[in-house]
Amino acid sequence: MAPTESAASAAETAIPNGTGAPDCVPDRSLDRALAAELWRGCDAARWGLTRDEFEQILVDAGTAQNFGLSEAANATPPTRQQQAVFFRSLCVADFALARACARGNERAWEHLVAAYRQPLTRAAIAITGSETLGCDLADQLYAELYGLNVREGQRRCPLLSYRGRGSLMGWLRTTLAQRHVDHYRRTRREEPIGQSNDVDEFDAAAPDPPPQTPARELSLLERAIEQAVSSCNAEERYLLAAYYLDGQTLLEIARVLGVHEATVSRRLHRTADQIRKQILKNLQRRGMSRRAAQEAMGADARDLEVNLKKLLQNSQSEAFQEQAAS
Amino acid sequence: MTATSQHGFHPDAESLSAFSEQVLGARERAEVLAHLAVCGRCRQVVALAREAADAGEVTAAAPPRKTVAPNAWWKQWRLVWVPTAVVAAFAAASISVYIEQADRHGPNIKIAEQNPAPSATPPSTPSPTEQAKVEPPAAAAPAPPPAHPAKHAHSAAPEPLPAPAPPVVAAQMPSESEAPEPGAPAPGVMNRVEVMREAQPPSHAEAMPAPPELTASAMRPADSQPASGASEGEQKQAEQQRQAEVDRSHMRNFKGKAAPFAVHGANAAPPAGATETATAAPQLETQPAATAEPAPMLGIKSSWDVTTPAKPMQLPSGLASVFIASGGHFLLAIDKTGALFLSEDRGVTWERITTQWTGRAVAVRRRARDHGAPQAAPSAQNGTTGGSSADTGPAPSPAIFFELSNDKNQTWVSTDGRTWTPK
Repeated sequence: MAPTESAASAAETAIPNGTGAPDCVPDRSLDRALAAELWRGCDAARWGLTRDEFEQILVDAGTAQNFGLSEAANATPPTRQQQAVFFRSLCVADFALARACARGNERAWEHLVAAYRQPLTRAAIAITGSETLGCDLADQLYAELYGLNVREGQRRCPLLSYRGRGSLMGWLRTTLAQRHVDHYRRTRREEPIGQSNDVDEFDAAAPDPPPQTPARELSLLERAIEQAVSSCNAEERYLLAAYYLDGQTLLEIARVLGVHEATVSRRLHRTADQIRKQILKNLQRRGMSRRAAQEAMGADARDLEVNLKKLLQNSQSEAFQEQAAS
Repeated sequence: MTATSQHGFHPDAESLSAFSEQVLGARERAEVLAHLAVCGRCRQVVALAREAADAGEVTAAAPPRKTVAPNAWWKQWRLVWVPTAVVAAFAAASISVYIEQADRHGPNIKIAEQNPAPSATPPSTPSPTEQAKVEPPAAAAPAPPPAHPAKHAHSAAPEPLPAPAPPVVAAQMPSESEAPEPGAPAPGVMNRVEVMREAQPPSHAEAMPAPPELTASAMRPADSQPASGASEGEQKQAEQQRQAEVDRSHMRNFKGKAAPFAVHGANAAPPAGATETATAAPQLETQPAATAEPAPMLGIKSSWDVTTPAKPMQLPSGLASVFIASGGHFLLAIDKTGALFLSEDRGVTWERITTQWTGRAVAVRRRARDHGAPQAAPSAQNGTTGGSSADTGPAPSPAIFFELSNDKNQTWVSTDGRTWTPK
C-alpha cells in the first residue's frame, strides 16, 4: 500500500467520501458559542464556507478523534471545555480550508493555491535540491491534492488525511518530503551497480589481518555492545542514529527535537558515556575483570562484527508495531 | 491500523509534521520519537521537512529587494560619491588644461618680447637701429626685455617652399620707419600675408577679414603715434595694455613652454630673405626689418588661434587661391592652375597678371630686402627705391619685393606685382 493510499484510507475511515458525517458515531453536538468563536477566528467565509458547513466539519473532526479523549470516554459526550481544549489544540483555519478543498469548494481551492503554491514550490525545491525536480514534485502533489486520483469511482484527496494537528504548511512539507524520500528509495534500487553509492556491499574487501584481541573477548565485547545499545531509550537511540548513521548535524537534530544545539551535544556525550559504562558492566558481568574489560574496550573496532545500523534499525518501534498489528 | 500510522509502520505526514512542530502530546511524541530512532526513512523525511521549513523561513525573513528604507537612497549614494569625485576631479583638471591651452593659443594680442636674431649675433649686443626700426613709436620708451634666442631659432631658417606648418598669424604694428604719417591713410590690416593652403576654397569674405582683436590693434596705428592726436589717457591705457602683454609673454617664456607653433616675425627680425609661411589664411605677420641686423626689439605682435583652419580665397578664375602674399595694399594670389592675380584693394577686385615666367607658378612670397641683398630687378621696380614711403602709397615699399617661384624652382621678382623679372 502506498503511503498516499494509506493516508487517504485512514482519513476515509473517519470521514467517508469526505463529504458527510461519519457513518457510526454518536450524536454529539457542538457547542454553539464555541463554534461561533472558532468561526470568527478562522475567517472561513473568505473561501465561501458557510457556517453550517464549518460546524459540520468540526463535528466530523471531533467525532473522528473523539475530541482528543481516550477511548474509554467514548460513551459519554464531551463537555464544552473538552471540546474547547480539543479544537484549540488544532489549527482550525487550516483544517477547515483543507476540508473545504477536499469537498470541492473552488473558492477554497483558489485560496489554497494563492496562499500555499509558492511556499510549497520553494519547499519542494529545498527538499529536492533542484528547481526542476522541486517544481515537478510540487506540481505532482498539487495534482493529487486536487483529487485527480480516483479509486473505486471516488475522488481521493490527500487533504482528507490532514486533521489539523500542526499547520497545513507543515503537513504539506512533510508530505512532499515523504514523496521525495519514497521516490528516491524506489529509484535508488534501479541504479546500476557502478553508480551505487553503497559500495560496501559490492567492494571486494581486502583480507583482514588476524585480530589482535582473542576471539573470545571479541565475542564478549560484541554481545556487550548489543546489549548496551538495546538498553538505550528512544531519544538516545534517535540521537545516535541521527548523528552517527544519518550524519545530521547537531543543529539539525536540535531543530527537529525543539531543543538547543548544546543540549543535543550534551545528550550525545552522555549517551556515549553511558553506553561505554554499560559495555564495561556487561563485560564484567560476563566474567571479565575490570582491567581485562578495559583492555577489551581498546580492541580495534574493525575486528568487531557489530553492525550498529542494523542493531539500531532492528529495534522496531513497539508502538507502531503494535498499532500495525492492531 | 489507526489513522496515525502510515504504510503499516510509519507515522503519517501529519504526525511527523506535528512532531517537528512540537505540537504532539507526550505519549504520541514518545511513540514518534521511538519510531524515528529505528526508522531511517522517517528521520530523513523529518529532516527534509525541517530543512524546507528553515529555507522557507529564511526566504520569508529576507527583506524584499525593492523595499527601500527611508534615507536608503542617501546611503546608496554614498557609494557613488567616490567615483563621482574622481570623475569631477578629472573633469576639472581637463578643463583647466584646456583653458590654459586655449589661453596660450587663443586669439589675443600680445606684446612680444623681441628676441635676438638667431644668427651669430649675440643677444647681448642689440642694434639700436634695429630696435628703433621695429619698435612701435609708442613703445619707444620702455626698455627692451631680455632676449630669448631660442624663441626664434627655428624661424631663422628660410624656407624655400612653404611647408605645411601650423597656421601662424601675426600682426605687427607699423615700425617707426614704416609708420604712416599723421593723416595718411592707415595701412592695411595685413602688412604681410603668406599663406600656404591645402585647398578648401572658402569664400573671399571669410578669408579676408581680420579677427576683431587683430583689427583692434593693427587698424589703429594712430594709437602708437604720439603725434597722432590721441589723448594722453588713451596713450597711457594703450601703454598699460602693452605692458600687461609683455608681462604675460614673460611669464610664458619663463615657463619654458614654447608655443607649439611659431609665432614669429613680428619683431623677430628674421634674416634677410627669411620666409614665414603657414597654412593658415589670412596670415598676418609683422613687418620684417628692412635691415638684416638682428636686434632685440619690442613690438606688438598679433596672432590668433593657429588652430583655425585656413580658408583660401576665391579668385576670379573660379579657383581657390593656394598662395597669397601681401605688401602694402598689394595682394598677390596664385590659384591652383598657377595663374597669378593682383589686387590693390585688399582683395575686392583682382587683376590677372600676364604670365612672364616659365612653368607654373607655385608660390609667391614677399621678401624684405636687406642691406646685403642684391637689388632684385631694380629696373623692374617702377623706379620706387625709397623705403620710407613704401606703405603710404599704393605700391609696396621699395625695401619689399615679391618673389615668385615656379614648379622648377626658378624665381622671378617684382616690386609692383605686375612686372616680373627672373632673379
